Amino acid sequence: MNTPVLQLSGISVGPAHAPFLQDINLELEAGHFLGIVGPNGAGKSTLLSVIAGLIEPASGHVDLFGHCLKRFNRRRLLQRVGFLSQLHDDQLQLPISVRHAVAMGDTRYASPLWRRPSSQQDVLWAMEQVDIADLGDRDFRQLSGGQRQRVRLAKALISRPELLLLDEPSAALDPSAQKRLYHLLRRLCDENQMAIVMVEHDIAAITGHVDSVACLNRRIHYHAMKGEQIPEDIWHAMYGEHMHVIAHDTRCIGCVAEPPASSTAHRH
Amino acid sequence: MELISHFLSSEVMRSALVPALLIAITTASISVMILAHRLSFLVVGVSHASLAGLGLAVVLSLPLLPTVTVTALAVGWLLIPSTTGNLRLNNDAGTGLLFAGAMALGIVLLSTTNRYQVDLFGWLFGNILTISHRDVVWLYVAAIAVLGGLLLSARVWWAIAFDATAVAASGISVSGYRFILHGVVALAVILCVKLAGIVLTTGLMVLPAACAWFWGRSLGTLWAISLGVSLSGTLVGLLVSYAFNWPSGATVVLALCILFVFSAMGAWIKQSGQHRRQRV
Repeated sequence: MNTPVLQLSGISVGPAHAPFLQDINLELEAGHFLGIVGPNGAGKSTLLSVIAGLIEPASGHVDLFGHCLKRFNRRRLLQRVGFLSQLHDDQLQLPISVRHAVAMGDTRYASPLWRRPSSQQDVLWAMEQVDIADLGDRDFRQLSGGQRQRVRLAKALISRPELLLLDEPSAALDPSAQKRLYHLLRRLCDENQMAIVMVEHDIAAITGHVDSVACLNRRIHYHAMKGEQIPEDIWHAMYGEHMHVIAHDTRCIGCVAEPPASSTAHRH
Repeated sequence: MELISHFLSSEVMRSALVPALLIAITTASISVMILAHRLSFLVVGVSHASLAGLGLAVVLSLPLLPTVTVTALAVGWLLIPSTTGNLRLNNDAGTGLLFAGAMALGIVLLSTTNRYQVDLFGWLFGNILTISHRDVVWLYVAAIAVLGGLLLSARVWWAIAFDATAVAASGISVSGYRFILHGVVALAVILCVKLAGIVLTTGLMVLPAACAWFWGRSLGTLWAISLGVSLSGTLVGLLVSYAFNWPSGATVVLALCILFVFSAMGAWIKQSGQHRRQRV
């Protein structure tokens, strides 16, 4: 049996009386594409931060590539992980070209000035993956929100990580760019055996691409594999009683017109 | 040409020229990081708080430069939570409070002693012409520390300024690198005080990269432009100060300000031209 790329065992974060995350157990094989959905404040980004070593869990442990993530091996293990955090408007105001921004994601970039920071081929490969090869010389600050997001994704991809963590990667992307992004991620899983954990709000948009969906609201309420239906009581446990679940297929366009007082989730 | 030959024949100016150029190279290099990490106000804070170090050195009869340096380092590190947004106050409020408090302490300490051997005016406004041999040695040590820190860490600092979360997620200690950066900036501040004084140091440390900000598109080009601006501003400033007998530090800062105005105007003209071409 192959060693799992990621294994979370009994992860809890925050004070015991009001944890942000509670008893999270999860295992991910190479090439698996996991989507995490849940309401605002459910702990989705916190969970990604725990996996990326940014937050120390109160209990439990994170295993990456068969090794427990500790202070002494953090650098070595996390070099094999790509991470895309949520996009904030106040970030990223340096006067740099797109090419330079992408190169910053290379693990060799954090070397002293006399060493080579990255190879031009790797930069070009990463830019080609997200359709920005023609933007190489543009000033990063002058890009649109969607273009910036693609640059950040190229930056996360440049080291060809074995595990990719994505926090709302489709934010600021138009529908066609979103679709291309999910196709790209699917291809990376299938061809490069990259494992992906992706946090998204819109379950309808991702279900056709991911291998499984974890429903998170402080704890994992359900882990649905491809083709499996998520029971209605799980939706209610996650989003509350005011939620209506609408079954539809990809051709259904009008089903978003719901009463304004209720929150809505889609499923195929 | 006559002015330059007069300038070079003056022993005072000749002995000031090398330290001034060394300061220009060092400040130009760190200047890019100061702008990238939005540390301009930290520079103001550290330079003004160094007056507390001066007061302590005078009252306790301690060696001046080491005491001021230690004070600057301490203030620089104390201000890490303020510059990284980890205070409950606004980011700039913490810096403002500490620098006002430290400066007040310095003034009170200096007022309690009659020993005014220290050149207070020189510390406040700078005077590279009175630099001593011991100061020059210290300048070399501080410059090597600053430039060495840059050689080893510039790329990580740059990446942190771009996306600190991504750097932390690659297993690099962002807080450790910020600690080193604040220390290096504090050292560079004390290096500059000799030329521009407590009051004008910010100009030397911010203006070179501010000029480059309009034109550079990578760490290398920003550094190169910043270096060119800093060296030319320092040389022109020293020449003009010699010609008109103006204070050297203030004249260098004025020269840098003029270069900044030209750089900003050039960038504005270039951008207007691009917009016009796009409309056509």
